[in-house]
Amino acid sequence: MDHFPGNWGNPRSRDDTYLESNDYLPGSIAQDHPRIRAEKTMSGFSCDEYISNPSHMPRAHTQQPVVTGTSVIGIRFKGGVMLAADNLASYGSLARFRDVERLLKVGDYTVVGASGDISDLQYIQHMLVNLETKEKYLDDGHSLGPKNVFEYMSRVMYGRRTKVNPLWNSLVIAGVKNNESFLGFVDLQGTSYQSSTIATGFGGHLAIPILRKAVDQIGEENMTEEQAKKIIEDCMRVLYYRDARSLNKFQRATITASGVTITDPYSLETDWSFAEKIRGYGA
Amino acid sequence: MGGNIEHRFSPYTDNGGTTLAIAGEDFCVVAGDTRQSEGYLINARYSPKVYHLKNNAVLATGGMHADGVALVKRIGQNLDWYVHKHEKQMSAPALAQMLSTILYSKRFFPYYVWNTLGGLDENGKGCVFSYDPVGNFEKQHWSCSGSAGHLIQPFLDNQIGHKHQSNVEHHLLPLDQVLKIVKDAFNGATERDIYTGDFVEIFIITKDGVTVQKHDLKKD
Amino acid sequence: MSLRGCLLFWVFGLRGLCSLNQFQLNLLNLLRSEYDQGVNTFSPEGRLFQVEYAIEAIKLGSTAVGIQTAHGVVLAVEKRVTSTLLEPSSIEKILEIDTHLGCAMSGLVADWRTMIDHARVEAQNHWFTYNERIKVESLTQAVCDLALRFGESADGEDAIMSRPFGVALLIGGVDEKGPQLFHADPSGTFTRFDAKAIGSGSEGAQTELQEQYHKSLTLREAELLALKVLKQVMEEKLSGANKGFRILPEAEVNELVAAM
Repeated sequence: MDHFPGNWGNPRSRDDTYLESNDYLPGSIAQDHPRIRAEKTMSGFSCDEYISNPSHMPRAHTQQPVVTGTSVIGIRFKGGVMLAADNLASYGSLARFRDVERLLKVGDYTVVGASGDISDLQYIQHMLVNLETKEKYLDDGHSLGPKNVFEYMSRVMYGRRTKVNPLWNSLVIAGVKNNESFLGFVDLQGTSYQSSTIATGFGGHLAIPILRKAVDQIGEENMTEEQAKKIIEDCMRVLYYRDARSLNKFQRATITASGVTITDPYSLETDWSFAEKIRGYGA
Repeated sequence: MGGNIEHRFSPYTDNGGTTLAIAGEDFCVVAGDTRQSEGYLINARYSPKVYHLKNNAVLATGGMHADGVALVKRIGQNLDWYVHKHEKQMSAPALAQMLSTILYSKRFFPYYVWNTLGGLDENGKGCVFSYDPVGNFEKQHWSCSGSAGHLIQPFLDNQIGHKHQSNVEHHLLPLDQVLKIVKDAFNGATERDIYTGDFVEIFIITKDGVTVQKHDLKKD
Repeated sequence: MSLRGCLLFWVFGLRGLCSLNQFQLNLLNLLRSEYDQGVNTFSPEGRLFQVEYAIEAIKLGSTAVGIQTAHGVVLAVEKRVTSTLLEPSSIEKILEIDTHLGCAMSGLVADWRTMIDHARVEAQNHWFTYNERIKVESLTQAVCDLALRFGESADGEDAIMSRPFGVALLIGGVDEKGPQLFHADPSGTFTRFDAKAIGSGSEGAQTELQEQYHKSLTLREAELLALKVLKQVMEEKLSGANKGFRILPEAEVNELVAAM
């Protein structure tokens, strides 16, 4: 059995106008490719090596996100920070996975929320778990706080953009350490900032006005956790009404001096009766 | 993100903002607004882009925020190394030359940053240097750049340089008058430029050190 | 030299046989030879013999004198004109590093060129990056950074020599701290001096400098003092041909000699 799909043949994708018989196709081991033949004559050649070390192929960078998560929103309130993100991973307009957790707990004080490419999110999760493990093993009395995670992710994201090989995400980093709350943003270009309200993607258009209005009216230092929860849920509801890549199933993270809590996925009451009255393209 | 598919990655973005610097006889003023934008979105109302460096020079960065942060980090390291190597602080003119060298070293993948550097020279006189992203630089008496730079420049030419005025005595302005002009410049720019606003941070450099003032700008 | 060569051979012979007894070990230490092998090997007494030998080598070189005054630094060297057929102007032992820096040497001239090349690059680099003239001390440090880059190099750094430099330097210059004179030796150590002599006649010359130096010397007085000190330790007759001064042309040197 030939395990390389590229060798199985697919008449529709093999357009002889553009492809030559010895062109390399992804997933194939083209035994008669001149390059391969040359390499094969050298000692120590093996198929495994050839696949795991694709130096013979053009370097592939992320050119566009594939499976994506939509907005992450965050707000600072008195004594803490709150984040929310839904559980949907879209494949274009297809709601592909509906149980993806996009809020990551890092250390004892921090939550990272990620929108954008889900595979890059998982790679970032892998990095952060490693970072956390190494920090724990050192056991030197130092522990990563939200500011450390923020700086780390800023450098990683900027470093990758400088290599023109970005991690295709917008990240929201939130946490509380030493009674200091933190809310920051980093994206695929390395752009970073801190603010009392942050939203990625569509949230920047739909949630930010709601969040900023609340902070302006109530004030960050007067806002209770209950109030923050209501504002966040209002924003998630609006996003669900208008963002076609969203899902009414989301998680909410609350970080205060007493620690990190991330809710199980839950839904909000919605009322679509207004939809009856929409006529034409308006509204 | 938001369902929009971006087709090709651009490593650059423009985060807007306006900066200026004015040299006085024995002082220098460097200022910048604190808004950080991305298209029609305001990312943050307070994201400073003017940096007080260890050698008491002040660097105003505009353009791409992430590049600005990276550049300032690199300059900070170089300032420390210089102190270790030469047992003295780098002078503002020396930093001016070094900044040009750093920027040009990335000539083919530039830091997308419009820099304005203010400080005191070896004789204690105020000095201003302005740059383009690849390291062209010039010593000036006043300078402004960024999203509302073109709005402020003629105002400064007129008020600081007494340009287009007849029968006026040319003289360097005292600090209090310079500060008034800076605030007027930023209030004016905020009215007309959507990328300028929220707050203005003004750094005043004298032989005694650097002080900072923060003033409100309109937030619309 | 031939005796040492003989002894070395003998030591190798012993090593070939078997482990050494205490007497033989002591003998080895006495002869130093074990630790002459690697240029970067410490002896049990904590000495780097090759570096020490290099310092000794300086003492064979021509005499050089440096004097710092409030107005500037004077560097003077003896030119050994060993033959009437020798063209004195072809002997170069004082060179310009930058417009504000000069360097006099004693020892192996060829080694010195390497250091001068490095010093000039270092000075120009500083000017290029900072648009200011490098400090005398920083330049001296930069030259001394080369000193221990011999033998097997440190990680990531290229060794540029297989042995230590056989040169001592007098680096004179003027910066924001005023005129300064530094002495650098093959170990990479540098020290600041008011007046310093190096080379074969350095002992006598240094004693003379010690007696004659005072803080209020004028540049002219320093020039004369340098000549006087050199004259005392030189075997040859003093003339413009065997004196070379930084900046000063031969005619002026002759004029100075006449004024003594």
